[in-house]
Amino acid sequence: MSEWLESAITRAQGINDWLLPKRANAIELLSNTKWPTRKAEAWRYTPLRSVERSVAKAINDVVGLSPVDITDLSAIELVFVNGKFDATQLTKVLPKGLSISLGKNLDSAQQKGALETFSSIKPERHLFGLVNDALAQDVVVVTVADGVDIAEPIRISSLLSQGGESHTRVQVTLGDGSRLAVIEDVQAQGDSLNTAFVEYHVASNAQLEHYRFALQTGSNISIGGSHFNLLDRAKMHSTIVAFGSDLSRLDTDIIHAGEFADAKLNAMYLLDGKELFDLHATVEHAMPNGTTEENVRCIAADRSRAVFNGRIHIHRDAQKTLAELNNRNLLMSNTAEINTKPELEIYADDVRCAHGATVAQIDKQALYYLQTRGISRSKAQVMLNFGFINELIDLMPNAALAEWVRPIIRERFSQMEVK
Amino acid sequence: MTEQIDKALAREYEAGFVSDVESETFEPGLDESVIQRISEMKGEPEWMLEWRLSAFREWLEMEEPDWALVDYPKIDFQAISYYSAPKSMKDKPKSLDEVDPELLRTYEKLGIPLIEQQMLAGIAVDAVFDSVSVVTTFRDKLEEAGVIFCPISEAIKKHPELVKKYLGSVVAKKDNYYSALNCAVFTDGSFVYIPKGTRCPMELSTYFRINEQNTGQFERTLIIADEGSHVSYLEGCTAPQRDENQLHAAVVELVAMDNAEIKYSTVQNWYPGDENGKGGIYNFVTKRGICHTSAKISWTQVETGSAVTWKYPSCILKGDNSVGEFYSVALTRGRQQADTGTKMIHIGKNTKSTIITKGISAGKSNNSYRGLVRMNPGADGARNFTQCDSLLIGDQCGAHTFPYVESRNPSAIIEHEATTSKVSDEQMFLCRQRGLDPEKAVSMIVNGFCKEVFKELPMEFAVEAGKLLEISLEGSVG
Repeated sequence: MSEWLESAITRAQGINDWLLPKRANAIELLSNTKWPTRKAEAWRYTPLRSVERSVAKAINDVVGLSPVDITDLSAIELVFVNGKFDATQLTKVLPKGLSISLGKNLDSAQQKGALETFSSIKPERHLFGLVNDALAQDVVVVTVADGVDIAEPIRISSLLSQGGESHTRVQVTLGDGSRLAVIEDVQAQGDSLNTAFVEYHVASNAQLEHYRFALQTGSNISIGGSHFNLLDRAKMHSTIVAFGSDLSRLDTDIIHAGEFADAKLNAMYLLDGKELFDLHATVEHAMPNGTTEENVRCIAADRSRAVFNGRIHIHRDAQKTLAELNNRNLLMSNTAEINTKPELEIYADDVRCAHGATVAQIDKQALYYLQTRGISRSKAQVMLNFGFINELIDLMPNAALAEWVRPIIRERFSQMEVK
Repeated sequence: MTEQIDKALAREYEAGFVSDVESETFEPGLDESVIQRISEMKGEPEWMLEWRLSAFREWLEMEEPDWALVDYPKIDFQAISYYSAPKSMKDKPKSLDEVDPELLRTYEKLGIPLIEQQMLAGIAVDAVFDSVSVVTTFRDKLEEAGVIFCPISEAIKKHPELVKKYLGSVVAKKDNYYSALNCAVFTDGSFVYIPKGTRCPMELSTYFRINEQNTGQFERTLIIADEGSHVSYLEGCTAPQRDENQLHAAVVELVAMDNAEIKYSTVQNWYPGDENGKGGIYNFVTKRGICHTSAKISWTQVETGSAVTWKYPSCILKGDNSVGEFYSVALTRGRQQADTGTKMIHIGKNTKSTIITKGISAGKSNNSYRGLVRMNPGADGARNFTQCDSLLIGDQCGAHTFPYVESRNPSAIIEHEATTSKVSDEQMFLCRQRGLDPEKAVSMIVNGFCKEVFKELPMEFAVEAGKLLEISLEGSVG
């Protein structure tokens, strides 16, 4: 076991609050965990040396950090600063049917319910999910009542100071037939380490619109997860936009626990410098008639490393499932690296499942075509790169977010040096 | 329809019988003295024994791999006998007439008319009955062309310079658990050397047979195609029925020098176990080839047998412009488990690889494709195309795909696609409308599904493979 994990366990043992049973369970599992080497399948391409070496420390100061402004976006702000929930930034009056509360402030009946659902979607195999179970203190519980449509999105921001370490956790429950949009965002300064996990319980006929942005780059370690449980006819649409950092790892798990559930996941990540980004996306079709559509696109430049693991698991009972995964990668330099592994594990016969993966560089003919139209090679490259990603941005349901992220991505491309 | 399925699934293994040839068999168990005895029995030189022992020492330090999607009881390596040879070995037959008639009858029962096959197809057959090569024919014709085709035990004595140079050069001794075990205890196998610029005058063929109860089979095959040469090698197998699991851990190494081409085809139909998965062969095989400049290695396999298959015929595309191909049909039924695929390692410039796999799962079986395509930084302009299709027949089986794609070269292009489906109602309807019974219809659809692979097989094999599939699928129509 690594020193880092030992110290995490020691710190967790000192916490005594309403989550104690879950924490104790996580601590026990962690104590029996072998620190993953490159032989561990889940960390085959993502070495954890930087975590072992991390000197990030918990910071108790909550002042001075606020989420970046997103033009034209009016959201219910749920802000964590250095792992602490900053209630002062939740200024809006909450609409009827929406409740947001720190777990420790819930009444005992509510707490009992929250405890039952806590960590019930996120699989135990996620090592850092367990670390988060053990160390997250300000657990925020969001509940949408049955049939309520929340117009304004909730924005969960995890902000972290230089050299800080934080573990944030949110639990979201959508009641029958309700609607909600959630934006997850991590903004971490240098030499920091964070784990940020959110679990979504989406009840029958409910609809969830989900975004996760990981646009911080540089020397930070950012490990997180978004986990979804879909009941009958539930719908989700998720968009992930990420840049890399020293180590960025995101695990998404989508569980079709009800029939006729529908999941869409569009993920894009753009890596430069020495960045690393690792996306592990798992879809569990446990019930019949579900549909899943995943589009994952990646551009890796300079000395960056991109990792993707897209697993679709069709259980014995999940007949009539339709599941598709499309993974396209552009490799821009011969010092960059793309490792991708789309997996299908199928135990039901009346299903239609497919995955495709490609790795290549920008089409030379397209580049040539643009050059013949008087566009410089580097500009043509940016245009084509942008077009490749923009196809997925166009699919974002929230126009204000799309408008906000587009120039950020364009800027990123113009910085990427073509080698 | 269900009755038909039950009937088909309860089908007896057609090649199932134990023939009564006296054999000389070691007591079960494995230590250095067993390896010394094997080496002694084979009359091997000192360097070979040393090589085996060093592999054995490596093996002791290694752990059994557990990453494949297969489930089987832990193997007791001390409960296996590591050597078994037909007794008539001592006065080795000079021609077919001298071959033990019991042995020949065994082949006849299997429907392998050895003599007929040699005469009609012009194939030189190096038949491995258990672990020792008994018959090697057509050697004169091959010798004329300068081709060496002999049991590897003979090559160790007669061509030590070639064996020393190439044995273990593609699959290192400690490459994996089973290959290390094979290095330590292999008893025999085939050795092929095709000289420069030679096109092997006939297709080379070895029939592997597992016969002695409780005998692990550890074949070792080494094929060297020197510059500009060409060879097509066929490997086929079938085994008698028995109720104890048998371990088979073969190693096949191919070396294709500049501009050479090796085509390696396999039809595998070992005993898959009874309907409860009892018995059946464990097939843990390491097959790998290295391609030098502009060389080509093509693996084609039709896998219908064995209880557990763990097999990844691979190509190391070292030389510029070299080509690797992998065509596979894997059919599992009953409680069979197959985890099979390939590795294409692109090192040289403009290297190309094609992977086409067809997995068919029926009954309560599990069938996985596991493959790796790696583009190294130097693999400028390299190209890979992978297509993995799975077909499910029945709702108790599983079909899985685990492709690893690793690219470090921007000018390399990799395409991977995989689909999973069942025989569609529309296809069945169309066929039945035209008067085909359901069984024929499925057989036809499955044959069509596998066509891309079958067309890569040599003629004789393609016929055998189609027949094998048809028999295996009898009645599996739901």
